[in-house]
Amino acid sequence: MTWLDTLGGITASALEAMTPLLLAATGGLFTELAGMLNIALEGLMLAGAFFGFAAAAVSGSLLLGILAGALASSLIAWIYGSATLRLKANVFITGLAANIFAPSVTAVLSAAWFGTRSVVALAVPEPARPLQTSLGRIPVLGGVFFSQHSLVYLSWALAAGAAVIIYRSVLGTRIRATGARAEAVAAAGFKPDFYKLSAIIISGFFCGIAGASLSLPLGAYVPNMSSGRGWIALVAIYLGNRRPGRTALACFVFALAESFSNYAQGQFGIPSEFILAIPFAATLIALSLGTSAKNE
Amino acid sequence: MNKRALGDRGGTLVFTISAALLSSCLLLLFFSESFFDSFLLFFINPLTNRYYLGNMIAFMAPLIVAGLGIAFAFESHNFNLGGEGQLYSGSLAAVLVAIAMKGKPAALIWLFSFAAAAAAGGLIGALSGFLKRRLAVDELISSFLVSSIVVLLVDFLVTGPFQDPFSNFQATRAIPPAAVLPKILPPSSLSTGIFVALLVLLVGKFVLERTRFGFELRLCGANKDFARYAGIDEGVYALVPMFLSGALHGIAGALMIFGSYGRLLRGFSSGVGWSAIAVALIARNKPLALVPAAAFYAYLDSGAKSVMIGAGASPEIVGIIQAVIFLFITAARLPFLKPPALLAAHRRGGKAGDRGAP
Repeated sequence: MTWLDTLGGITASALEAMTPLLLAATGGLFTELAGMLNIALEGLMLAGAFFGFAAAAVSGSLLLGILAGALASSLIAWIYGSATLRLKANVFITGLAANIFAPSVTAVLSAAWFGTRSVVALAVPEPARPLQTSLGRIPVLGGVFFSQHSLVYLSWALAAGAAVIIYRSVLGTRIRATGARAEAVAAAGFKPDFYKLSAIIISGFFCGIAGASLSLPLGAYVPNMSSGRGWIALVAIYLGNRRPGRTALACFVFALAESFSNYAQGQFGIPSEFILAIPFAATLIALSLGTSAKNE
Repeated sequence: MNKRALGDRGGTLVFTISAALLSSCLLLLFFSESFFDSFLLFFINPLTNRYYLGNMIAFMAPLIVAGLGIAFAFESHNFNLGGEGQLYSGSLAAVLVAIAMKGKPAALIWLFSFAAAAAAGGLIGALSGFLKRRLAVDELISSFLVSSIVVLLVDFLVTGPFQDPFSNFQATRAIPPAAVLPKILPPSSLSTGIFVALLVLLVGKFVLERTRFGFELRLCGANKDFARYAGIDEGVYALVPMFLSGALHGIAGALMIFGSYGRLLRGFSSGVGWSAIAVALIARNKPLALVPAAAFYAYLDSGAKSVMIGAGASPEIVGIIQAVIFLFITAARLPFLKPPALLAAHRRGGKAGDRGAP
């Protein structure tokens, strides 16, 4: 029974670790389908983590925290998207702007508001675990799937909702058309830039919630707590062939690598630098193998 | 058309620098105790105070060399986002070689340490070039991922196997005192390293602008298809520029160690790999323009440090200013100004897609 418990424990924490990845990848899916490689996911996520946490700490409301995180990231995404599209700036350099802006502005505001540039730990409401006392009682599976906190289920709902928007809504169809053939969209009398900007703002919205899903369950904001997840989400989209379901699967595999390395650290006392490096290494290997397989 | 395009780019540069300076003022207004005092500390102190002036010029050395590395990558249409990892690996190699050569003549130590730095940084950069050439892996993502791994590994080595057992710092042992580059303007950290940087810059300018290699490299960057028809092996220009870019980042790191720090401290770079991108973009990848671009960036950085110590502002305000630079520096149109838009559209007419070289 013990190995089953261990496996269940690793899978359960993988599902929790998957939440920010899945949300960021879902946001990145919109920009990817609109024809842009959005390297700003990382920074947008970090902004969501900080503003979401600050708002939740001040208001005492989890929901307000999530919304504030989503709003702040959407705002930064709007600025970054406007510079890219309206001023015709290089999308990677403006993406870098967002990635450098987020850790800097959070450090400055953290010093101004909380008097510290390092970890901010304040009382925020703990996310509920809505199914723990009902379905959570099922042996093994209950612990894995039904004892998660509410943000995990929220991420599943949002990812599913995003898939519907992408394939079934007018907005989603036009975003996809913009990525496939922008000139056809223009010829049909629509503005491709409008749909690109929409995709960037939507990616900001999802990344903001992704960031909030990092800081709120932890009850703390840690500088650079996104630690490369935005980049991993980008690779997950790529490996998932820009399809929502496969992207989610790729996110789960990366989350599994993360939770397994956390488990290994506890078991074997591996230095923390190696643990932090494992997701990057796994992503690099998956990216290389995935790219070469696609080109065969 | 070229002249018009240049005028347009000049407009972007003026706008970007104005936006950077304006945002500096706004940040000081909001996040420091006294605007007037911090204004003086930020804008005047770096130029009049011997210590800050020296540090400012000292900081130009790694910015120029790493900026040249970015220019080599950008001019060949390679996005190198792994500067930090290349810089750390080069620094570590240089420090280890210097410590192993203790007692040897300084000139020999410099030669071997800088060669080791270039080789280590270059190999890290070349890995992304290799993955691009062999497996068509996007170098923009792979260089970042490789760099993140390398930074963590160097952190581990500096605090573990190579940690100075007699020091409380998270740092390696010090390099031999004889190998420390001579200081020019004490008590600042300005050293002869700035001359090394300028020498490297001149060599880089020659290679980029006066050799066949440099010409083919720029041709691959400007128009891949044309380069292929001209019989140029474009795979070479994925691999070699990424190696050179990494090697220059490695040298930049070694310059910081030999000129200022004397040992490898955990996190000593604090983002030079990213700042170098800003410097290269301001300079439009033109080698000689890297000098004023690095001076401008080092001036902002020195100002931020001066305000931090003098008026208690967060040093991260320089990151926000850097973000403002990144936001506007590649803009082909400017807000509030209509005419350049037409020129810009004209200029960009021939460029394909979003994936333009900056």
